[in-house]
Amino acid sequence: MTVLDADPARPQLPFGRPNLLDLAPLYDVLRREAPITAVTTPAGDPAWLVTRFEEVRSLLADKRLGRSHPDPENASRINTSAVLEGPSGDIETEEREHTRMRRLLTPAFSAKRMRTLEGRVQQLIDGYVDALVAEHDASPDGVADLHATLAFPLPVAVICTLLGVPESDGDYFSSLSERMSSFTGGDAQAARREFHAYMGTLAEAKRTAPGEDVITDLVRAYDEDPDFSHDELVRICTGLLFAGHETTVNRIGLGTLMLSGAPDQWRALVEDPEGRVNALVEEMMRLGAPGDLGLLRYAHTDVEVGEETIRTGDAVMFSINAANRDPEAFADAEDFVPDRQEKAHVGFGHGGHFCIGASLARTELRATFATLARRLPGLRLAVALDDIEVRETVTGGVRSLPVTWTEQ
Amino acid sequence: MSAVSAGRPLRVEADADVCVGSGQCVMTAPEVFDQDDDASVVVLEEHPTADQAADVDAAAVGCPVQAIVLHEEP
Ligand code: HEM
Ligand code: SF4
Repeated sequence: MTVLDADPARPQLPFGRPNLLDLAPLYDVLRREAPITAVTTPAGDPAWLVTRFEEVRSLLADKRLGRSHPDPENASRINTSAVLEGPSGDIETEEREHTRMRRLLTPAFSAKRMRTLEGRVQQLIDGYVDALVAEHDASPDGVADLHATLAFPLPVAVICTLLGVPESDGDYFSSLSERMSSFTGGDAQAARREFHAYMGTLAEAKRTAPGEDVITDLVRAYDEDPDFSHDELVRICTGLLFAGHETTVNRIGLGTLMLSGAPDQWRALVEDPEGRVNALVEEMMRLGAPGDLGLLRYAHTDVEVGEETIRTGDAVMFSINAANRDPEAFADAEDFVPDRQEKAHVGFGHGGHFCIGASLARTELRATFATLARRLPGLRLAVALDDIEVRETVTGGVRSLPVTWTEQ
Repeated sequence: MSAVSAGRPLRVEADADVCVGSGQCVMTAPEVFDQDDDASVVVLEEHPTADQAADVDAAAVGCPVQAIVLHEEP
């Protein structure tokens, strides 16, 4: 079905990057010279790669592209993990299922609902910062791990509360998430089956012991709607638990790294945490670029864009990382400039699949950085950027984040 | 006083059928937009003030599904 043929001469994803914060220089070239270009996926299959802000936005909003494939057996594979690795869903039912999913989920994660969560989030963060301080005080060299003590447990605790998942399962499901999104090791599919089994059991338990949580609501909706399959229920719940912690954990880590490279911005935040934090978080969303793959769609009909024709069945990958640094869309695009005029980034995607958890993620990120600035104004990295260990997964991110501070 | 875009007052319209409940507009211009219980967009201020114009503009541009339309009033 895929018309785009394989060609070993094409650039292959992922493009090597110089460090955690900067992108591969090849993106500059592509954006300038070939904003829609054929590449080879990590799995060795052909795909289009879209790198320019304007085309990324217009094609992500284009209903002729979807997550399903007209002939899934013959679809280009992206990678060997179990996350964004290939088509998902059925071309006949995709739109109906997606609409149902959004209708069920968006109210639970709306900006308004998230405002009611702020107190709880703040309480959690205060507790983690207390733990960070204790770790710092107990350590002979005054070093504490911001990843293990704050960046990881916060999103896990919050998504557990919202979904009604036991927080004590956090280590288990996050190790499943990591195995699912791993490029190495080869047991990604097994991890996904395990995750689905875990979720299936949990959802079943909600039937006899319902809670006031999103999974209970989803189980109720499933019981009432004969068209809502069990598979879909499990897929949605797994997706939520995965997306609800992986991405936000990484963003707290990357945000900390960005701030450590922008001492002026950190000082401004320390002086006015409430006034500065929103703009800072948006800039972290724009510039933060964990992983190197981007979003995935398949063409459901032929689509002409500029000089290229994307054929029915072709895989299309969207580098939101590259789009967010497009010099045609953002002045000084590579620089961390929280006060920039241009506000519309695509860090949470664009179009009908726009991130359902955006308000939740913002709530967590804003409270985290405002609290760090208030309580640990002398915060800095305890190691060099290049010494920070990166995970070999689709979602990227760090393994640990040693920080220290001097009392001020 | 109403918002001015290129010197003209604005009228804000949002299409709740197109809206995907992202909350982007509520975040960008909280005085002008809200979400109802289904997370669908609600326009609070059909005629925003001049002070709100920049935020309203940003909200319209930032809406992931272009559900927000700004009309220039004569
Ligand atoms: C900083 C943290 C986050 C980032 C950077 C992020 C990013 C994204 C992006 C780029 C998409 C679009 C995917 C696509 O178009 O294919 C997306 C979708 C999604 N996100 Fe997030 N996300 C974050 C946090 C969260 C959280 C906390 C949740 C938990 C509720 C969540 C749930 C979802 C869901 C369910 C979708 C699928 C929406 C759909 O297909 O209609 N995300 N996210
Ligand atoms: S930004 Fe657009 S999609 Fe999001 S809530 Fe507002 S109108 Fe709806």
